[in-house]
Amino acid sequence: MNPLRHDFIQSCLRSASSASPNSNDAQNPEATRKYKYLDVGCGGGIFASSAARLPNTVSVTAIDPTSEVIKYLNCAIEELDSHIEGQGKESFDFVTVFEVVEHIDKPAAFLRQALAHLKPGGWLIGSTIARHPMSYLTTKIVAEAPWPIGVVPPGTHDWNKYVNPSEVREWFAHENHELHTRNVETSDNEGRIEAGDKYGVVRVEGCIYLPLLGWKWAGGTAEYGNFFFGVQKLH
Amino acid sequence: MLSRPASKSSRYICKACRSAINASRKRKFGTNSITSNPTSDDIYDVVTVGGGPVGLALLAALKTSPSTSHLKCLLVESQSLAKQKSWSLPPDAYSNRASSITPTNQSFLEAIEAWRHLDLTRVQPYDEMQVWDAGNAASIQFDWSAEAIKYNAPLRTVATMVENSNLSRGLLRRIEDVGAEESMMSGWNVKGIGNGIDDPEGCNLSTWPVLELQQIGSEGSQNTKQIATRLLIGADGINSPVRTFAGINTNGWDYGRHGVVATLQVESSSDPASPFQNSVSNDDFDSALEDFLSDDPKSSSSSSQPNFENITPSNRATAFQRFLPALGGPIAILPLPNNHASLVWSTTPQIASYLKSLSPSAFTATVNAALRLEQVDIQYLFSLPTTISEPNNTSPHESELTWRLQHTKSTPPSRSPPWITALQPNTIASFPLRLRNATSYIAPRIALAGDAAHTIHPLAGQGLNLGLGDAECLSRTIRYAVEHGMDIGDLMALQGYSGERYAAAVRVSTGVDLLNKVYQIGSGDGLVGSLLGAARGLGMRAVGMVPGVREAIMRTVD
Repeated sequence: MNPLRHDFIQSCLRSASSASPNSNDAQNPEATRKYKYLDVGCGGGIFASSAARLPNTVSVTAIDPTSEVIKYLNCAIEELDSHIEGQGKESFDFVTVFEVVEHIDKPAAFLRQALAHLKPGGWLIGSTIARHPMSYLTTKIVAEAPWPIGVVPPGTHDWNKYVNPSEVREWFAHENHELHTRNVETSDNEGRIEAGDKYGVVRVEGCIYLPLLGWKWAGGTAEYGNFFFGVQKLH
Repeated sequence: MLSRPASKSSRYICKACRSAINASRKRKFGTNSITSNPTSDDIYDVVTVGGGPVGLALLAALKTSPSTSHLKCLLVESQSLAKQKSWSLPPDAYSNRASSITPTNQSFLEAIEAWRHLDLTRVQPYDEMQVWDAGNAASIQFDWSAEAIKYNAPLRTVATMVENSNLSRGLLRRIEDVGAEESMMSGWNVKGIGNGIDDPEGCNLSTWPVLELQQIGSEGSQNTKQIATRLLIGADGINSPVRTFAGINTNGWDYGRHGVVATLQVESSSDPASPFQNSVSNDDFDSALEDFLSDDPKSSSSSSQPNFENITPSNRATAFQRFLPALGGPIAILPLPNNHASLVWSTTPQIASYLKSLSPSAFTATVNAALRLEQVDIQYLFSLPTTISEPNNTSPHESELTWRLQHTKSTPPSRSPPWITALQPNTIASFPLRLRNATSYIAPRIALAGDAAHTIHPLAGQGLNLGLGDAECLSRTIRYAVEHGMDIGDLMALQGYSGERYAAAVRVSTGVDLLNKVYQIGSGDGLVGSLLGAARGLGMRAVGMVPGVREAIMRTVD
């Protein structure tokens, strides 16, 4: 699935530059921009090391709470600040959460933590699984079946923790509304009104695993299977 | 040796990993002398061994694409690339090593901006192939005329004849264009290949190929160099040392045949059916079509049935191939500009050495005979002495040819092959014909391309085309890996290349091999031989008659 992650990141960047051609992209065209990544829940570092290889990467900080992953920063998102002192808040161009959200008890709080580290203009990119009878079939019954059919150990996934694309969209819309309202309230004191939403349109793409062929993009399947989501922090 | 796992649940090593372990064990080619890793100056992303058209095309492609142009590349070639770059021949002389480039490969060369660096006055596109069989009366014409007539369009090119040196020089010019001349080491030999070491204070290059290079010098001073690379590409020919290092075996056989090549001059005739000038203009075609379609009884100059074979849209040039099953293989005449042609004659080693011993006039007479006479007549010519004893300095071959032509019941193809007038001096050469296919085109940090991966019979002109297809696919595979943050030498990154090219090479080489076998049948004089020959002729006619079949064949090798 890793190549798809890079494809999705590229398509998010392209959508941003086509939407705002006059922004700082003009001074800093795509080809010369350099990026800092934060990979949360990096596991074995498959994505982190592939991002580190890209020619336009400045650095990759990869963290994971499980202690077996010793090559990377062994911490949870809440503890990150103490490990990256001196970098300041909002210091990453990309915060990536691939195959993480479906394992988190309280995804909203987790995402807020992750988003706090994003630069303005930066992207939160993640992938997870939708909560649908079809995904129950594919990820619980088939994927966790005994050998030779199964591919992950039983108990890896908890279907109840899956997150739907619609829920992701609703949550960001809610965040935008919340923050907008809050800013309007405080600006009464300062006489300034923050215009515009904090987060851009949530991009969603479904993907599917085909035996012998691997992971492929699959347009309308986001609602009932694996999907990628990407959202830009506008300011 | 892998130890038995202690419990049922413990490690299963998949087949791909096991072969990787074995491949890395086998890797010792001539050198055990690597005790320290090369310094970072001598560590590369991609090293290509072999500066033939395939290696050069790959380097040009990598340096042209913005995604891969930053890769640190090196190309190592033992011969002088400077000499290749300064290659030059006058307009009336052509190299005897020329290849038939398919439109797909021409597009690739255009995409890497190398095509425009070729001397395009020296290439010959042809839009028709005449194929016929000396063992029977069948013939087939390969072209895209069905399409051209259907859409009232000019004839599509079947392929373009290009001298190999023209291609290499063009690629070298392109490489200079992108400022990558420093990426080539010419006049250096690969003395040995091994692996790097796991340096605790430096890098772990234990899986990285390390090459020991030696400069080919005349003073005896040994100038050597050690370089390491993330990905090693073997474009180093049929006996590829890189392939040996990778521990990859080959399957295949020797055909027991030689390919005789030469550059010929052909007659430029005013015969409208001549393939070597614009025979019929599009206007003639349009008026002939009009005549055919009109109801006017006095229309149509010749017969009531217009012969579309003579009034197809303007034909630029034709390639000819006549199968000679009794004489070891086909003879092919491939068009070059200015009334020249390239000869490729696949035949037995005995006939090959006989041909090479002939005087130029005897040689041209024999070639003309091979295109026109019955096989028994041609066989007779091979028995004639090679020294000239006749008056007027004519060889016995010429007189025999003249005499037998009068008595030959000819069954020519719908367009007659050209009359050979002269042999360009010092262009006769021969090479053994072999089929080889590597059992794998990839190994960890290794990829094979061109003849290092596969060698085939020349009768379909596909050898170099397969190699250029390899270069295109490999450059695309490397580009995908770089864009997706992969280690370009990783077996998983290379798998796409292997999947695509292995199937293509097996398809083409098997097809060509089968075709060759089919056209060896009927080499005897007996009843069975002639029956099989007749059957083959029926097959050939069927291919020509069933609509769409020959287009499908042409598309396969396009």
